[in-house]
Amino acid sequence: MSFKVIKPGFLTTIQDAGRFMHAIYGMSQSGVMDEHAFGWANHLLGNDYTDAVLEITFGGVELEALDEVVVCVCGADLDFKINAKIAPTWKSLQVQPTDILSWSLPKHGVRSYLAVQGGFKTQTLFGSRSVNLREHIGVKITQDCVLACAPSSGQLESFMAPQYRPNYHQNVVLRLLPSYQYSEFSDAQKTLFFGQTYTVSNANDRSGCRLKGVPIVFKRDKMISEAMSYGSVEIATDGLPIILLKDAPSIGGYTKIGTVFSLDLAQLAQQQPTAKVRFELMNIEQAQKERLAFNQFFGVLENSKPLKI
Amino acid sequence: MHKIILAGENSLLIYFGDKIDPELPKNIANFANQLKNEFSELIINLTPSYTSLLVSYDLNKTSYPIFKSQVSTLLKQWTPAEVEQSFKVIHIPVYYGFEVGLDLERLLAEKALTLDEFIYIHTSQSYLVYAIGFSPVFAFLGEVDQQIQAPRLSTPRIKIPAGSVGIADRQTAIYPTDSSGGWNIIGRTMLDLSLKNPDNLDKFKTGDQVEFYPITRDEYLKYGGKL
Repeated sequence: MSFKVIKPGFLTTIQDAGRFMHAIYGMSQSGVMDEHAFGWANHLLGNDYTDAVLEITFGGVELEALDEVVVCVCGADLDFKINAKIAPTWKSLQVQPTDILSWSLPKHGVRSYLAVQGGFKTQTLFGSRSVNLREHIGVKITQDCVLACAPSSGQLESFMAPQYRPNYHQNVVLRLLPSYQYSEFSDAQKTLFFGQTYTVSNANDRSGCRLKGVPIVFKRDKMISEAMSYGSVEIATDGLPIILLKDAPSIGGYTKIGTVFSLDLAQLAQQQPTAKVRFELMNIEQAQKERLAFNQFFGVLENSKPLKI
Repeated sequence: MHKIILAGENSLLIYFGDKIDPELPKNIANFANQLKNEFSELIINLTPSYTSLLVSYDLNKTSYPIFKSQVSTLLKQWTPAEVEQSFKVIHIPVYYGFEVGLDLERLLAEKALTLDEFIYIHTSQSYLVYAIGFSPVFAFLGEVDQQIQAPRLSTPRIKIPAGSVGIADRQTAIYPTDSSGGWNIIGRTMLDLSLKNPDNLDKFKTGDQVEFYPITRDEYLKYGGKL
């Protein structure tokens, strides 16, 4: 065992790289919302890409270390402190028994990741440790619960150079692959979609991000429900986009104008309501090239074995 | 005929038809199996639905143009009729009472049906599992007799109790866990369809058949039903 939860925070869950081969049973992909910060947190500890971390949304969390363990916090700056003193993020850190790790308020970004050397060892459910509250798979962390992790293999000194750290205050450009019903939208509708700056609304969670803006008038007689991939953008009946995220239902019945590139969704995951976003087109060759480079850097899926279904 | 389109950076969507057809779910399930056997190293997720199959692949090992062409070749060689697959019939007991069927009283009035007539219509046919989605173990079943079809509620309920049986247009379904939703609720089963019992993962498969049968309030309670 390794950490005791003193304060569980607003929304704090164990997540990993996601739940694959289970969409056939109606399950969401689940997994971390910001794959970039998650990748770095594990990378700086020498972990596997798939190792489970704690995803802390908005802060309000306090943990007490029960053992000596090497940790790394990446992603949002939620005023991370160790023993009430500001502590570095994007850097491996050694913590001692009785040390108190805390995250209070969002200063920069929304979601912070706590990785521990070897990953959290919570129960694997349907091939993943990711908690999905909408699907009743796993639960939020609660006061007094103990988060188990593997014993640390030793101290290490690794960090991400400050100039590479992401700026979550920047306006986000979401690159969109022309997929699904893209070709059914008229030029005027596409001009309206790509030409405007949308605002992230309050209706924004791990399942989807609803945007506010000028509605697109789109009428289709009949849309037969079909599978939705991570990042696909529904145009709801009110003409406004909903970007489908990790906990989204696997099947839905709205028309989709395209699919946002996954690494741009990592940036979206750090935005508060009222943040501004716009869309631009991306082609599949470029998307696959960028994602492949990311996968190779972090060793994504290298160790994964196909699950039986 | 078949059509393959882009669905994301590591996903493509195969359409097997453009309208809902009881033959399609079986064919799609069958092709999903073929794909899985043929490309087990490449496939990371499969999501069948009414007329389509979403295929997600490992882009470390292939690319969109290569994989699309492989899928297309397999589709051309594939003859669904030749590959036999077994599909099961699942029986679901339902208590059709006003205290659990939250919309039942209103539907009876709207449709000018007695409770017995309504129950008879809902239970006298076998429903095909067209798709699994929305949440785990949630099976979209069709098609509901015209006499009891009803559109989704304009305002979805925040909480529908687990086991509730609902109707939305031509579809019927059972909510496996407490959840929000806009279907018309007509009754409830005491069967636990939640993932607390991991065997439920496999309870419904696209292509299976589901039959409902009515039980009394006493039977419902005796076998663990809650009001």
